[in-house]
Amino acid sequence: MTDRAATKTSTWTRITDPEDRHPFFDQVEKLFQNKTGVAGLIIITVFTLAAILAPLISPHDPVENALYDQLKPPVWQSGGSAKNLLGTDDLGRDMLSRLIYGARISLTLGVVSVGIALVFGSFLGAIAGYKKGWLDNVIMRFMDIVLAFPHILLAIVIVAYLGPGLRNAMMAIGIINIPRFARIVRASVMDEYEKDYVTAARAAGARDLRIIFSAIFPNCMAPIIVQASLGFGAAILDAAGLSFLGLGAQPPTPEWGAMIAEGRAMILRAWWVMTFPGIAILLAVLGFNLLGDGLRDALDPRLRD
Amino acid sequence: MHTDPLLSIQNLKTYFQVRGDVLKAVDDVSLTIRQGETLGLVGESGCGKSVTAATIMGLIPMPPGFIAGGAIRFEGQDLLKTAESRMRRIRGSKISMIFQEPMTSLNPVFTVGEQVAEVVRLHENLPEKEIQERVIESFRLVKIPAPTARIREYPHQMSGGMRQRVMIAMALACHPRLMIADEPTTALDVTIQAQILELMNSLKRETGASILFITHDLGVIAEMAQTVAVMYTGKVMEEADVKTLFATPRHPYTIGLMRSIPIVGRGKQQRKLSTIPGSVPSLFNLPQGCLFHERCPEKWQACEQEPPPMIELGQGHRVRCYKYA
Repeated sequence: MTDRAATKTSTWTRITDPEDRHPFFDQVEKLFQNKTGVAGLIIITVFTLAAILAPLISPHDPVENALYDQLKPPVWQSGGSAKNLLGTDDLGRDMLSRLIYGARISLTLGVVSVGIALVFGSFLGAIAGYKKGWLDNVIMRFMDIVLAFPHILLAIVIVAYLGPGLRNAMMAIGIINIPRFARIVRASVMDEYEKDYVTAARAAGARDLRIIFSAIFPNCMAPIIVQASLGFGAAILDAAGLSFLGLGAQPPTPEWGAMIAEGRAMILRAWWVMTFPGIAILLAVLGFNLLGDGLRDALDPRLRD
Repeated sequence: MHTDPLLSIQNLKTYFQVRGDVLKAVDDVSLTIRQGETLGLVGESGCGKSVTAATIMGLIPMPPGFIAGGAIRFEGQDLLKTAESRMRRIRGSKISMIFQEPMTSLNPVFTVGEQVAEVVRLHENLPEKEIQERVIESFRLVKIPAPTARIREYPHQMSGGMRQRVMIAMALACHPRLMIADEPTTALDVTIQAQILELMNSLKRETGASILFITHDLGVIAEMAQTVAVMYTGKVMEEADVKTLFATPRHPYTIGLMRSIPIVGRGKQQRKLSTIPGSVPSLFNLPQGCLFHERCPEKWQACEQEPPPMIELGQGHRVRCYKYA
């Protein structure tokens, strides 16, 4: 038997050599073959870059009032100027700058609330799926109760309790998304539980928590990643909803949902104040959903050829 | 070669509670494994051989399983009465297990070296460098070529034979006293099978560990075991040292099993392959009397009424059949 392991040299061959590479790279390749997935990835990359580079690329300060430039239309309409490419709002603030800074807020909010949902949801779901029995019942029935509330209504209740504000909105959105992760993780832990390597880990003397989190959990990553990506879009949408209702980001924070709420009154006079944040939300949510679907196709073993 | 018993199972009863019925998966089984010896446990699917192994390891899910009686003595303690926290320290270090399916028994997301290292880490408080050395040493022991490179591979990059070697390396990594091999070669090609069996035999000689070897293959048993126990529907039907069992099988079931081994040969004396009539009774619906009487070519009247006791024939040869009473 020739030993190909001995001839293996660099990380690069591990990525490019189809015989030897880690399955992770097969899945990356599969994602890149998926056109809509790539479209989602591009949209998200653009938004992410905008968020990171916001101070460098935005033409104006997002909260600076310019009372002489109130409700300037976008550049291509009569009355618009190159100074404010997408026009200004009723306080003369530059729409484009506000949108760019808004990307920062929306992405942070997505990371934080999905993070909360993922950590707690995975933990509860993994315990429920592994232990089964009464503990599973208690955890999952509680999750069912949370799921029984309309999404935004429950978020409103939590924010009303914690007090309005962006940070509390993130927490509320995180909490209402816990059951989604719990369910998915529970199902895949139950699937993995049947596999021989779990018995082998027990036979090797590992304790339960170690088996769950260091042996089983890494095998459940695929559905978690997909759900995280889809959840990101949903979190941005929910946050926009809360902000629109005045329970999330407070003025003058350039949050997209809050911007829509501010522009609502002048929709007939200045359509751009409300429309552009709406488009931003649409694109961001679309981007995450497309990426999520692409990831699902790339990672789901049942769809693998 | 009569040394002290390393493991002795006395009248073990592992039952399962299933839909109001009690399923006697292992019923009154007594076995002894001596230091450095291989005990072969043979039987058809569902005869309770894997449940016996799982009971020794303390891996029976309870409920639905429960231990209705018996004792498992290992190094002076009764494993059935040992607390879970102590059992965890025994599992994987003093008693380790090799599974049937090398394809699924390794965790697909970790390198094989990492998985062997994990077992060492669980049981021994060693610096990381020594753990790595231990991993490489155990890979050498199971004759995996180029171990320093191989430890960085993932299970999917290895063949079935190599993976089973990794499983054996994992079982050996903490220098166990007893290895339980549950059909370790059933999923492998015949040529690889022979290599693995030879490897296990040489490892047993080198390490002095005892092996409980579970299989349905009598040919494999002849290669591996010093003592053989034949199980049928949860009971040991016959037990003897390997030479005696193959030379003079006593129980009609054992005789039937031996006749069902195909013999490749030429000439007119070649007989038609015989089979045991009927099929294994369901554990839900076991017959009265001797569990084998419905399929037995030599049954007596008594066989239908009372289950026969274990009868000593001398020199450790025991058989559960009225013929020898």
